[in-house]
Amino acid sequence: MIVHEDVLQRAVDLALELGASYAEARYHRLASSSITTRYGDVISYGERLSEGIGVRVLVDGALGFSATNSLDWEHAREAVEEAVKLARAHARLMKSRIEFAEARVGRAKYEAVSLKPFDSMSLEDKASLLIDVWKSVGEAVRECKVMTLMCSFNESVEEKTVINSDGAYVVSKVPRLSVSYNFVLLHPQRGTIQRRFSYGASGGLELLDEWRVAEEASEEAAKLERVLVEGVEPPREPVDVVVGSEVVGLIVHESCGHPSEADRILGREAAQAGMSFIKPGMLGARIGSEHATVIDDPTVPRSYGFYLYDDEGVPARPRYLYREGVINEHLHNRWTASVFKVESNAAARAMDYNSEPIIRMANTYLKPGDYSFEELIEDVELGVYIRSYMEWNIDDVRWGQRYVGLEAYMIEGGELGKPVRNPVLEITTKGFYSRIDAVGKELRFYPGTCGKGEPAQGVPVWFGGPDVRLRRVTLGVVAR
Amino acid sequence: MRELGVSEVAAKLVRDAINRGFDEAAARVVGLRAVMVKLANSEVSVVQRWNNLSASLYLAKGGRILTTTLSASSIDRIGELVERCLSAASQLKPSPLYAPLPEPAPVEPLSGLVDKAVIDGMADPAPLAEELIGEALDEGAEKVAGTLALSYYEKGLATSRGVELRESSTGVEGYLRAFVGESSGQWAVGSRRLERGALRLVARTAASLALKARGEPRDLKPGTYDLVLSPMVVGNLVDLVGMMSSALAVMMGFSIFARAKPGSKVASERFTLLDEPRNPELLGSTAFDDEGMPTRNKPIIEAGVLKTLLHNTKTAAKMGAASTGNAGWIRPHPWTLHIPAGDASLDEMISEVRRGLLVTNNWYTRLQNYVEGIFSTITRDAVIYIEDGELKHPVARVRIADRLPTLLSNIELVGKELHDISWWEVKPPVRAPYILVRSVHVSRPFD
Repeated sequence: MIVHEDVLQRAVDLALELGASYAEARYHRLASSSITTRYGDVISYGERLSEGIGVRVLVDGALGFSATNSLDWEHAREAVEEAVKLARAHARLMKSRIEFAEARVGRAKYEAVSLKPFDSMSLEDKASLLIDVWKSVGEAVRECKVMTLMCSFNESVEEKTVINSDGAYVVSKVPRLSVSYNFVLLHPQRGTIQRRFSYGASGGLELLDEWRVAEEASEEAAKLERVLVEGVEPPREPVDVVVGSEVVGLIVHESCGHPSEADRILGREAAQAGMSFIKPGMLGARIGSEHATVIDDPTVPRSYGFYLYDDEGVPARPRYLYREGVINEHLHNRWTASVFKVESNAAARAMDYNSEPIIRMANTYLKPGDYSFEELIEDVELGVYIRSYMEWNIDDVRWGQRYVGLEAYMIEGGELGKPVRNPVLEITTKGFYSRIDAVGKELRFYPGTCGKGEPAQGVPVWFGGPDVRLRRVTLGVVAR
Repeated sequence: MRELGVSEVAAKLVRDAINRGFDEAAARVVGLRAVMVKLANSEVSVVQRWNNLSASLYLAKGGRILTTTLSASSIDRIGELVERCLSAASQLKPSPLYAPLPEPAPVEPLSGLVDKAVIDGMADPAPLAEELIGEALDEGAEKVAGTLALSYYEKGLATSRGVELRESSTGVEGYLRAFVGESSGQWAVGSRRLERGALRLVARTAASLALKARGEPRDLKPGTYDLVLSPMVVGNLVDLVGMMSSALAVMMGFSIFARAKPGSKVASERFTLLDEPRNPELLGSTAFDDEGMPTRNKPIIEAGVLKTLLHNTKTAAKMGAASTGNAGWIRPHPWTLHIPAGDASLDEMISEVRRGLLVTNNWYTRLQNYVEGIFSTITRDAVIYIEDGELKHPVARVRIADRLPTLLSNIELVGKELHDISWWEVKPPVRAPYILVRSVHVSRPFD
């Protein structure tokens, strides 16, 4: 059931009548289905439908949010009344009033392109695709046993209608597809190695034509078996490190995207996802070399984090967060834009009807350079190439971070050598961006579900980049 | 369908599914009313409120397993969904995980799950939020951030085997991060009851930890240290152990118990971990699982020995065990974890450490390999260096980076005071003490 837009408009009107200075009503529907397999068997099939109305109001300088998953006017009315009542009751605890910056909000309808609809392929064929992963991984390994292998196939369609008291009217529809696998290889003497990986994008089943899931899983299994069987410890002295695109994507998400969220900079997430090493007034500060340009762009076609208007109705555009090594721009919603006296750059996004819109990344990536992979490694006498990772984390101000390599190789005399097992890149944000001295030319993206907010909201994002070269890094090892 | 009670809606959904051709069905219907005040910079950043009715269904036909989740708006149109699931079932092969839903078993309801004060407090939580802020500032905090959430939860369950059950509960979760200059402290509580004293204690503890960590933090040399872990940290790490004790996690390659059998030694003999759903004091307590089986309190690990994995009837059938009352239709899971008290005071633990750290909070725990338990987690808030049995000075953020089996084996002392912790990084809730762990690897980033 798609909600009658009249209910949303009435909700906004009622909030204004009750004294709100700003009101928005969002109908938000997420329909998804998934197949889960273990080895060569389908374990289960699942469908989820989340659908409801989220209402947000500003009353006497306090912000109230209320949600219901009944779409009738009575429940919408109650949601508005409760949001206004609670915001008003808490206004006396405000030291300074929350205000929203002026914005040129949109009136638009848009839809992400899906060339092959989800129902153009049978469930049986979708399940076969996952079962092929099991077959191909099993055939790829020689000395190891596949201790476990699970896969999932997920389709979803997100539909939203956002109406607010500043005239926004935005209707959107974004289909998304993802395929994931997790496998553990077991060697009788060398223990285990584990890999989780996901493909994800907005669009339809045409994405499957590009993803080569079974082939790539098979290639990975063969390479990881080699890492497990032959892998050596990384060198302990400082070496040059070529960080693969997959790891670079995660690094820019964690150490540029997150600390650039203006709500985090202002302390709104202090007790949950933490704060930021970036403080108000740090625009223009140097954080890295001239090769460090990081962009967050919701408008990348077919991206997992795709949108054209945010949930406050503001039109999206690319945000240059770090530009040539300098902190250049933060991610804003209309509240933080007001505090920083800038315009919102459309980062407000909610996971579902039940969630308030908060500042989120969309598709964050390091700007590519002009090096081929061979050029990146050709003058490295002794180094390590880290292609993929499993473990990662970063501290609550987004400064000290750790990525443990999974598929990794020695670089010796400008060529890839023996596999390296579990090299640890544990480095500060400035340490990473300052050491980039060469950037590859091939930009690749990876999907993720980014967590933030309270209650926690997971939203789809892409993160990506090319391979990059860092000079003189001391790598660590995992505990034995 | 909002005019019906949750168990009546569940029973109706089950009847519809069976009438349309499924062999078996179960439905869980949840009504949730909740309010949450989020605090930052000692003021309210947002007040959120929810009023939702949601339903989840388990459907089986010819050994195929299907699950669905619906919002209130679509419960009335369950027929369309069931028809679609029937079509899906016809295209899939039977699941090797399939086992029939269990016969109904007597379920002894839990009393004391509802506190009227929570329901009353939901109408206007502003005074409670004000009290939290005020208490921390009075204790010496310069500013605070945090969350206060009050909820009322109704759960109805029906299965095609004839189960029809209903349970109501209330919940309170409060946590606060207090700042004094650059130092901070955080504490949390989760409860079925609204106890203002417990919330005030959260505020005072957070502030006192921030005060304790004042001063310029020093960088720690990476190496091996003895760690005194607070209940916040213990809660986060044993949640990981709890997740790994799910039989499905073992089957799917997400568990250190993948190569252990019940009866194996997996931790120090001083360590016991209980799943305690029948303790109504604990947030997460419940009388029955999603298959209608009665829950029971049980050790997962007792005196260092793995006693059981957590099972629903499916994983139990697959592994030749019995259900432990922890369904999840697909994934068994712990309800609420409890580490029984030991006999050490915090001061006694600190006095036992020659070179180590008092770690009061952590986050972002991630694994390189779930089967081996290779993990790291990062400290946040107060970390204090201990030397020769005394607290010395604050330490800058570090990473605990080791193997979970090593950490569990190196537990030496368990505290005698228990704390009910629930917050962003500790779910399901955990009743936990301070714990002293010997010889843990600690690292810090390269500049």
